[in-house]
Amino acid sequence: MLRSTILLIFSLFLLTQCTKKDGSGTVTIQLDHSVAGNAFEVDQLKYACQAGHTYSIVNLKYYLSEIKLTDKHGQIISRGNIHLFDIQNPASASLNLDNIPDGDYTQLSFVFGLSEIQNVDGGLINTLENINMEWPIPGDQGYHYMKFEGRYDSLNTGIVRSFNIHTGATKGNQNYLEITLPIQTLILRDNNWTIHLQMDLNEWLQNPTTFDFVGHEAIMMDQSAQEIIKANGGTVFSIGSVKKT
Amino acid sequence: MRILSTFIVFLILVLHSCTKDSEIPNSWTYNPTPYLLEFPDEFPQMQIELANPLTVEGVQLGRRLYYDQLLHPAGMHACSECHLQQSSFSSSAEVLPHINLGWNSTFLWNGKISGTLEDIMQFEVDDFFHADMNRLEQDSLYPRLFFEAFGTETITSTYTARALAQFLRTVISSNARYDNVFLPGSGEFPTEEEQNGYDIFFSEKGDCFHCHGGILFTDNNFHNNGLDTQPSPIGRSAITGNPNDLGKFKSPTLRNIALTGPYMHDGRYTTLEEVIDFYSEGLKISPTIDPLMKQAHKGGIHLTGKEKSDLLAFLHTLTDTTFITNPAFNSPF
Repeated sequence: MLRSTILLIFSLFLLTQCTKKDGSGTVTIQLDHSVAGNAFEVDQLKYACQAGHTYSIVNLKYYLSEIKLTDKHGQIISRGNIHLFDIQNPASASLNLDNIPDGDYTQLSFVFGLSEIQNVDGGLINTLENINMEWPIPGDQGYHYMKFEGRYDSLNTGIVRSFNIHTGATKGNQNYLEITLPIQTLILRDNNWTIHLQMDLNEWLQNPTTFDFVGHEAIMMDQSAQEIIKANGGTVFSIGSVKKT
Repeated sequence: MRILSTFIVFLILVLHSCTKDSEIPNSWTYNPTPYLLEFPDEFPQMQIELANPLTVEGVQLGRRLYYDQLLHPAGMHACSECHLQQSSFSSSAEVLPHINLGWNSTFLWNGKISGTLEDIMQFEVDDFFHADMNRLEQDSLYPRLFFEAFGTETITSTYTARALAQFLRTVISSNARYDNVFLPGSGEFPTEEEQNGYDIFFSEKGDCFHCHGGILFTDNNFHNNGLDTQPSPIGRSAITGNPNDLGKFKSPTLRNIALTGPYMHDGRYTTLEEVIDFYSEGLKISPTIDPLMKQAHKGGIHLTGKEKSDLLAFLHTLTDTTFITNPAFNSPF
């Protein structure tokens, strides 16, 4: 009897272990925005850029896609999310990666914008939001990767003009960014986590190249300007806190 | 006392049952036929309220209500009086066209009403028309039509709004010359002028598309497009209370734009030529001017005479003549 009981308890223990190995959780990516380390406020003409202007940000929309978590063994987990952030839609500041299996994750990577696969006419689900991001320039195709719009006080002279940093594929150049960021080890064991992904908007305008709004009010068909923004994108993103939720 | 109470309850129940039986003739049936909405694949999926699925009976009822002066408490006005089919269901500057409304979630020039078509129709029935439901209930036909559409003989403003919303979801314009000559598959091609106008419209040369782009030719958003140096207080800011929204009005669809003049929220421009001149040379700077108006500091996009006529030719490709003659949308009376 005792032997049978011990065997039963041992079997139950093993089964429990098996169940635990199949655990999973949700990893939420929380999108935080700042300007040169300061809190981001919409439509406030108060930020200074390296080119010498004071500027404001009125509109901000962008796509993140091919979002992946990599564990310490190099295994990559992707849920195929294509996410559109829209400053006018507060709910879009977070996205969930569901059913992420238990693991020790050390890296977050994503495409800023859309890769060749999705960035074709009709490549995304035909929603109103995606239609408003279309890139209809004759000869090009696909979608805006980012709409970063605002006003600037030209060299602080009191003359206020507009800028539109609209990124996307033009003249055969894809122009999307592949971002990989190490994260403080996220030990997922049948629980949920939140990763704060920070975007410093001022970094689009510097490092390594100063982006001057003057002469760059509209850049959709300006590949050299697209390349400056793409190169500056390397310092735009960082990881904030990584927390169990 | 208890016996008396029981008797009264029983009497009420009997009377209630009798009333119902007497008000619903045997010839009335509630067996609505689902209405299949059709529109091209390029159009986005339309959000339809679960509580208000489209039925043939509901759409027909909505169409009748749209054209019926009985909706007005004094019997003097109907929706169709200001929303004329030959003018793409518009008539004057204040009247935004009732076209492709099923893809809208904000309504009126300043977005006073946001939500679903049912929400805006509820506003129109209750707050704009002050409709008296008794007038519909006393009509010889409406009680049966409401029963056939919604399974109720009690006519409420909610069901009235739902019927109007159903009809307006069917009022779709998707067969303009643009849809045939610029979208693949038809075998038809634009003229050289129309193609040049397309290139201006959809490039940063004209930069019309950021507010009026996509298959619906509107971004359904609010913008200050540079009409005034003192931006108007009756636009979006009147709803949000946000001074950053001064001078912002909803981008109207440009589908059938040649039919919906005069233009702008106050009708200040009579013709499309005047509108093109405004965007070319007449923009005015104000603190809330939309950043998309990036040539405003130069007064506009400065088109040549040829470019203006090409752009005008393109805008005329957005006219859908089959829409304004579609018998499914005209008066049932």
